[in-house]
Amino acid sequence: MKLGFLGATEGGRIGKWPIIILAGMVIAVVAFLTYINVAFPRVKCEYAKHLKSPDTASDCYACHLKATPKVAQDWYESKHGVMLVKCFVCHGQPDGKGSVPYAVNPDVNTTCRKCHDPSIKKMEKKYGLKLECNSCHPFHQNSIHHKAYVKPVAKRKI
Amino acid sequence: MDITRREFLKYTAASSAFMAIGGPLAFAASKDQTVDHWVKGVCRFCGTGCGVMVGVKNKKVVTVKGDPNNHNAGFLCLKGALMTPIIYAKERITEPLIRKNGKLVPATWDEALNLTASKFKEAIKKYGPTSVAYYGSGQALTEETYLASKIFKAGLKCNNVEGNPRLCMASAVGGYVTTYGKDEPCGSYDDINAATCFFIIGSNTSECHPIIFKKIAARKQADPNVKVIVVDPRKTNTARIADIHVSFKPGTDLAILNAMAYVIIEEELDNYRFHSKYVNFMDNQKNKRTFEDYKKFLEDYTPEKVEKISGVPAETIRKIAKIFAESSATMSLWTMGINQRIRGVWANNLISNLHLLTGHIGKPGATPFSLTGQPNACGGVRDTGGLSHLLPAGRLIKKREHRNEMEELWGLPKDSLNPKPGYHTVALFKALGEGKIKALLILCTNPAQSLPNVNKYRKAMARKDNFIALIECFRDAETVKFADVVFPAAFWCEREGVYGCSERRYSLIGKAIDPPGKCRPTVNILVDLAVRMGVDPKLVPFKNSADVWDEWRKVARPTPYNFWGITRERLRKESGIRWPCPTEDHPGTRIRYVRGEDPNIPKDYKHKYFFYGKPDGKAVIWFRPYKGPAEAPDKDYPFVLTTGRVIDHWHTGTMTMKVPELRRSFPNAYVEINEKDAKKMGIQNGDRVLLETRRDKMVFPARVSDVCRPGLVFVPWFDVNLMINKLTKDAFDPGSKQPEFKICAVRIKKV
Repeated sequence: MKLGFLGATEGGRIGKWPIIILAGMVIAVVAFLTYINVAFPRVKCEYAKHLKSPDTASDCYACHLKATPKVAQDWYESKHGVMLVKCFVCHGQPDGKGSVPYAVNPDVNTTCRKCHDPSIKKMEKKYGLKLECNSCHPFHQNSIHHKAYVKPVAKRKI
Repeated sequence: MDITRREFLKYTAASSAFMAIGGPLAFAASKDQTVDHWVKGVCRFCGTGCGVMVGVKNKKVVTVKGDPNNHNAGFLCLKGALMTPIIYAKERITEPLIRKNGKLVPATWDEALNLTASKFKEAIKKYGPTSVAYYGSGQALTEETYLASKIFKAGLKCNNVEGNPRLCMASAVGGYVTTYGKDEPCGSYDDINAATCFFIIGSNTSECHPIIFKKIAARKQADPNVKVIVVDPRKTNTARIADIHVSFKPGTDLAILNAMAYVIIEEELDNYRFHSKYVNFMDNQKNKRTFEDYKKFLEDYTPEKVEKISGVPAETIRKIAKIFAESSATMSLWTMGINQRIRGVWANNLISNLHLLTGHIGKPGATPFSLTGQPNACGGVRDTGGLSHLLPAGRLIKKREHRNEMEELWGLPKDSLNPKPGYHTVALFKALGEGKIKALLILCTNPAQSLPNVNKYRKAMARKDNFIALIECFRDAETVKFADVVFPAAFWCEREGVYGCSERRYSLIGKAIDPPGKCRPTVNILVDLAVRMGVDPKLVPFKNSADVWDEWRKVARPTPYNFWGITRERLRKESGIRWPCPTEDHPGTRIRYVRGEDPNIPKDYKHKYFFYGKPDGKAVIWFRPYKGPAEAPDKDYPFVLTTGRVIDHWHTGTMTMKVPELRRSFPNAYVEINEKDAKKMGIQNGDRVLLETRRDKMVFPARVSDVCRPGLVFVPWFDVNLMINKLTKDAFDPGSKQPEFKICAVRIKKV
């Protein structure tokens, strides 16, 4: 019986080339992951690099107003902004020392459900489980003064 | 291996995240928070009283979420959503402590209880029952307050039973009782969904009652014709959804409210049919007067005259008065800006005046509605009679028939209760300083930070010849420094009990986990202590809070505060029930004083409204003149200092400071200054500014903004290191005895 898989020969010995290829693949994957880790550091918030005092780590808005004014303004005008549901409630702390896990995209189950469990359940019943609320209900752009759900994607029927 | 579908999907998501960015996110996403079971409870913070589901895994609380069946419909504010770390704070007290040679050292329960009991017994023997006192809290359970009040009033014959609601809600009680005859709001949160005009005065609802603000904002979003009027010297976040924000000179709101009444009558927007049938007019000396007299009284408060007093343009006063009266359903909301004043009761009366004049009462959406600051002040303390002049369920100590009624219910000999009301809070701590109080039991509150002019009362608490026992959860609470004995209490969801929120709604906090170390539920501590103090064990036959609740239902049953239908079983099943609730099949009451809604009114009663708290069934429009604050700014102290909360912190910060997110959001107090004032004095954001009042001085970092009006500065009171109450004034309302935290004169200087 001939086993072609991974180049195993008929005698059961494994040839030289498959090992080299395999090793090469492993090195490539490790190199790729290392590159990713260096290029996209764990703490994406610049805060952790620039400020020495951790005292005001939760005052995200003050810094983001300058660093990412669009995001800050979107939040300010959103329902969460009007109700003062501040950044750390969903995103945690940039140094990961908070009680909420630090996440750029907050987890639906641990974060959103704290307040929106009834509506998530309703949506689950209607459309099945979705891991992302954000794709239809933009977190920072659900304005209270203007029309809700201004992001075009939300107008699309699911 | 058991993997639920949700977990499987999460792991799949986590592993794809790992593939994508090499690990970092996978860590965050895998912090598993699936729970074994959920326990129904109520939030530990403000008086909104949001329902909370406590998620328990391996006998530990891992997360919380909003209770979908309670009034908050699943929503929580940021404090509520981040409650979990407080339970496991390293500062928890887990064993009884006794002060020996100036240091608190661990002791056994027997030692701590016996020492406390002997000190109380000794004081009563030597100096009489009025030499001991209890200082409770609007955060204690309803059962705890009822029990403590019974132990002191019935067991020790001592009426020195007070609590921090005196600092927070006493003026609202005074306002309701003088106007309607009975305490507690007539409306409910349901009114928010029906109101077409919100008149918010003296309340930063957005930061102090976030979920109520959410309801108002949602109402405003659903119907753009809904008007929101915010009357506040600070332009707070609440004003963001306001159609009109009225800024005025602090302390002149009584004049503005009278001017609004003037405009309403002048424009003929009053509801003559309503007030001629259901309202009495009364002057300050309690003489019955007529509508014509009222008109004459209001002539001193024309908008033009009030413009000079308050700084609000006459046009604006006319405008808000018209919006108030012309809307189909107006709801007024107020809190400490009205209550914490030397004429807080009058200010409360004046708001009710507007509602009685226009008939905006007793209809869906039309109601005066006071918001309460603590999770169980409205419920636990006001209803169960946990203050020095009250007996349970609205009864008064000074009324003999009320005392006799309670003596019968408690199984005491007739006329055995002490007929003399005890000290109110400020007087209590003053008496402590004068050596008149020898032993004090403090439960679940932090007076060493929360009293006004606190230096004076810290000195009183520091006296060597008095004995202070404290039932507390956290060792870093400021009052622990003054305690001779500290009992470790079970916190929040570590024992079962009932909280009552602003809208007369009582909800049960289920027991989710066991208390740590040697902590015990406060009800058991109080019973044990009472028996050792020599209180008749028949008076305190309670094994747990459920037993106390059953007695409370019995005691409240013959009164309009009817809790008979709110059984423990119902509370376990339902997410909150509003009293009056006379039978087990009664759904609870949305609107009081209205036939068909309020079960206290017979179904065949001849009129629609019945204010049964008053002898003739009529509410009262009071002639309350304008009175300024106790300490107005002058040339030596030209600024007004006001205090309040920020959304991130609650009260003295003993709980919110344990949550890393909240602590870092506002690590310390600051002084908020108007940008014009700041420019004049060359103050910039972050500069150090010295605040000096006639009591004390302190340096704060500055925050320059347009929130405060010129001439006003604001400091939050959560910070234990920058204790603003060292600067505030302890002048109080002669009626409600509530101190004027909100206004005192201050001078400021850049340092």
